[in-house]
Amino acid sequence: MNFDPNDPRLTAYVLNELPDAERAEVEALLASNPEAAAFVEELRATTGLIAASLANEPDLTLDPARRATIRTAAETHPAGRIVAFPWWRTLAGFGAAAAALVLAVVGLHLQRVKESRSSASELQIVTGIVHEQPTDAARGAVPASVAIKDDRLVATPPEATFDVAALEKMAEPPKEELARDNAFTMSAPAPAAAPASPVLASTRAVGLAAKGIIGSGFAERRRQERESAIISPSQDDFDVIRENGFQRVGDHPLSTFSIDVDTASYAVVRKLLNDGFRPPRDAVRIEELINYFTYDYPPPVDGRPFAAHLEAMPAPWNPQHSLVRIGIKGKVIDRAERPPLNLVYLLDVSGSMNDVNKLPLVKRSLQALVNQLDARDRVAIVVYAGAAGLVLPPTPGDQGPAILEALERLEAGGSTAGGAGIELAYRTAREHFRSNAVNRVILCTDGDFNVGTVQRGDLEAQIEREAKSGVFLTVLGFGMGNYKDSTLELLSNKGNGNYAYIDDFNEARKVLVDQMLGTMVTIAKDVKIQVEFNPAVVAAYRLIGYENRMLKKEDFNNDKVDAGEIGAGHTVTALYELIPVGQPLPDVPEVDALKYQVPSSPAAPDTEALTVKMRYKDPAGDTSTKLEFPLPAGALGNPAPSDDVRFAASVAGFGMLLRDSEHRGTLTYADVLRLAESALGDDRLGYRAEFLKLVRNAEAITGKP
Amino acid sequence: MEHPEWIERLVGQHEKPLCRYAYSLTRSVSAAQDAVQETFLRLCKADRSKIEGHEAAWLFQVCRSRVIDMQRKEKPMNHLTPAQEAVLAAPGKNPAETAMHRDTENLVPRLMDGLPDRQREAIRLKFQQNLSYRDIARVLDTSEGNVGFLIHTGIKTLRDQMKTLSGAVS
Repeated sequence: MNFDPNDPRLTAYVLNELPDAERAEVEALLASNPEAAAFVEELRATTGLIAASLANEPDLTLDPARRATIRTAAETHPAGRIVAFPWWRTLAGFGAAAAALVLAVVGLHLQRVKESRSSASELQIVTGIVHEQPTDAARGAVPASVAIKDDRLVATPPEATFDVAALEKMAEPPKEELARDNAFTMSAPAPAAAPASPVLASTRAVGLAAKGIIGSGFAERRRQERESAIISPSQDDFDVIRENGFQRVGDHPLSTFSIDVDTASYAVVRKLLNDGFRPPRDAVRIEELINYFTYDYPPPVDGRPFAAHLEAMPAPWNPQHSLVRIGIKGKVIDRAERPPLNLVYLLDVSGSMNDVNKLPLVKRSLQALVNQLDARDRVAIVVYAGAAGLVLPPTPGDQGPAILEALERLEAGGSTAGGAGIELAYRTAREHFRSNAVNRVILCTDGDFNVGTVQRGDLEAQIEREAKSGVFLTVLGFGMGNYKDSTLELLSNKGNGNYAYIDDFNEARKVLVDQMLGTMVTIAKDVKIQVEFNPAVVAAYRLIGYENRMLKKEDFNNDKVDAGEIGAGHTVTALYELIPVGQPLPDVPEVDALKYQVPSSPAAPDTEALTVKMRYKDPAGDTSTKLEFPLPAGALGNPAPSDDVRFAASVAGFGMLLRDSEHRGTLTYADVLRLAESALGDDRLGYRAEFLKLVRNAEAITGKP
Repeated sequence: MEHPEWIERLVGQHEKPLCRYAYSLTRSVSAAQDAVQETFLRLCKADRSKIEGHEAAWLFQVCRSRVIDMQRKEKPMNHLTPAQEAVLAAPGKNPAETAMHRDTENLVPRLMDGLPDRQREAIRLKFQQNLSYRDIARVLDTSEGNVGFLIHTGIKTLRDQMKTLSGAVS
C-alpha cells in the first residue's frame, strides 16, 4: 500500500476500525514510511483533541415530566410485537415472494427471541460496569458547569489546557514520543481498548445477536430499504385530472391547447409499476406518457422553427373511430451553433436527498453534463437545506475540475427551505444574465419544496416575473418519497420551464445531457395549437390527455396568454380521437340549432378533415406567428400507419387502461402489448422495449389481461 | 427482562448522550428534549426484537430523523449568517484563519463547526458516543465506507487547520 493522506484507512487504523488484514498493511506502511507514520501520529493527536473537546460538552438530560411520559408509555405498550407486514405488500406483484419473506422473517423472529433472552443477561452485566464508570470520568475530562439560558446551554468549560500544548507539538517535526505524550494519551482513549465504554456493550451485543440472526437481519434490512425507498402511492400528491370528453364538431369546431413537453408522469408510472403498485389514476398523464418517447419526425426544411406531421389510423380501442396524430418537430441546432448557457443549479441538499437515487444521482448527472460544456458557458450551484448558500459562483464551462470539485463537496443534511434558495438562485442568474444566452435556473429536489415564510402565491408570482425577464426554470424531481408532483409541475409551468422526474442514471443522462440542447435551447415559446374540425367529415372529437393544458378558443390569438415552449430538436405529440360523420355518437348532449345564424357553407366541403393551426413566438419576441397544416379527409383511412403512430396509439391506450378511462372500450393490456410489439421501430436506446415490460407488469398487477 | 425495565434501562443509559447529540443538531434545549422524548416514545411502540443488538444505533438514528422532521416542520426558513455565506462562497478559505484571531480556548469546537454537517455528525457519533463505523452508517443512513471517508476527511481537515494555525501562532 502506498501513502496517500486521503486514504480513509489511515484514520480507520487509528480508531481500530480496520479488519486484521488491512491493519497489517497499514502497519507495514508505517514501519517503512516515516512520512506516513508522522501523518498518522498527527491524526491520532487530532482525534485525542476532538475526544477531549467533545467530552467537555455540557450534559443535558430530560426533565421529569418528559421522563414520566416515557415511563407511562413503556408500561402501556406490550413487549415484542410480531413482525407485521402491511397488507398491501402481500398483494399482486409481490405475490409468492412476499409471502415467503413473511414466513422467513417470522421464523427467524422466533429464533431471535430465544437468542436475545440469553444475550440480554450478559448485556446487563456489561452495562452494569458502564454505570459504575461514567464515560466522562473514563476519559479523564472534567465536567463543565452548565446553565440553560434562552433555551440554550451555556457552559463554563474547564481550562482547555491541552489546546496550546498540542498545537505546539503539531507544529514541531514529529517525534517518536509524540504518541505517548500525556496530553494525548489522557484524552484519546482508543475506543475498542477502553475497558468499559458503551461501545463494548453494544458491539458485544451485535456480535451475539449476529450469530443467530444474520438471515433475519438481512431480510429485515431489505424490507426496510424497500419501505424507505417507496411510500404508498396514496401519500404522493397528484392533482385530479378529469379526462377530456367527446365534443360535437357542430357545437365546438375548435379545440385549443398549449404545447407541453413534460415527461415526468412516465417515470412516476414506471417506478410504481416496477415496485408492484398500480399508479393512482391522477399520476397517469397520458400526454406525458406519449411524449416520453422520441418519434422520428423529420425536422423543418423551410427555415421555420418547427414542422408538423399529421397521420391517422383506426383507434385501437374502437376501429370505427379514427386516431389523428399531430407530430411536431423542433428544428435541430448543431452543438457548435448553440447559444451559450448561463445555468444556475439549485440543489436541494436536505437530509432526505441522501438516498443513492437522489443527490448522488444529481452529482453523477451533472458531471456528465459538465463534460459537454465549454468556455462560453457559465455554471453556478446554489444549495438549500436549513439554509441557502452559493457553493459555486458562476464558473466558465471549460473549468470542469472546479465545477466537479464543488459537486464533490456537496452532501445532504438538514431540512428544506426552498424559498430562500430560489431567491438566491435567481439573483445569481440575473447577475450573469446575457441576452444571447440560455438563462436558466434548474431546481433539483425530491419534491418537499418548502417555500418557508414566502407565500406560495408570492413564489409563483416571482417565478413568473423572472420568466418574463428571461430567466426560465427547469424542475427535476428525484426519488419518490414526499414527492409533491403537482407543486413542482406548477412551478415549472410558471417559470416557462419543463419538468422531469428522474429515477436512475439513464433517465438523468437522457434529461440532463442527451436532451440538454433540446431542453435548454428554446426555439419557440408560447406555442399554442388550435385544431379546426370540418363538420362535413368529423362528427365529434376528443383530445387525449393535455387536460391541464386546455386553452379557450379566443386565447389562441391573444398574445398575452402564455403557453408552452419548444426546445431544439424536441418532438411533441398529441392524439385526437375522431368520430367520422355517419358513426353513432356517444352520449354527448347536443346544443339546440341556432335560430338566427346562417350556417356558412364550408370552404372545402369534404376534402379536408381538419386543419392544425399553430401560433408561436420567437424566444425573445412578443408577437406571434401563425402556421397552418391541413389533413386531407382521405388520409383518415390510412392503410399503412407508420410504426411511430401505432406506438403512440399503444401508449395512449396503455394510459387509458391505467386511468380506467370510460373511452377504453374493449381494449386490453394484451392488445396494447401486441400493438406496441409490432411498432418498436429501430428503438436504438431500448425505451420502447422497456415499455413492453411495463405493460406486462401492469397486466400482472391489475390481474386483467 | 420485562418490557418496562428494558425501556428504563435504555433511557438510563442513553438519555444523556441522546440529549447531547440532539442538542448538537438543534441548538435548542427544548427541541433536543422533545426529540429525545419522541425517540423513547417510539422505542416503547417499536418491535423490541428488531432493536436488540443495536440499541444505540437505533436510538441515534430515530433521534436524528426526529430532529430533521421537526426542523422541516418548524423552521421553514433560516438564512445563513453573512459569515457562513462567506465560507460557502469561498470554500477554499481556511476557517482556521478566522478562528486564529480569537483565543485558543474552545478552538476545537470552533473548527469543528466549520466542517460540513455530515463530517461533523459522524465525528461526534464516533468520539462522543463511541459508535462503531457500522453503527454510524446505520444512523446516517449511508455505507460504512462513506463513514470512514467522512471521519477521515473531517479529522484530516482539522489536523491541517490546527497545523496551519499553530504555525501562525509560533
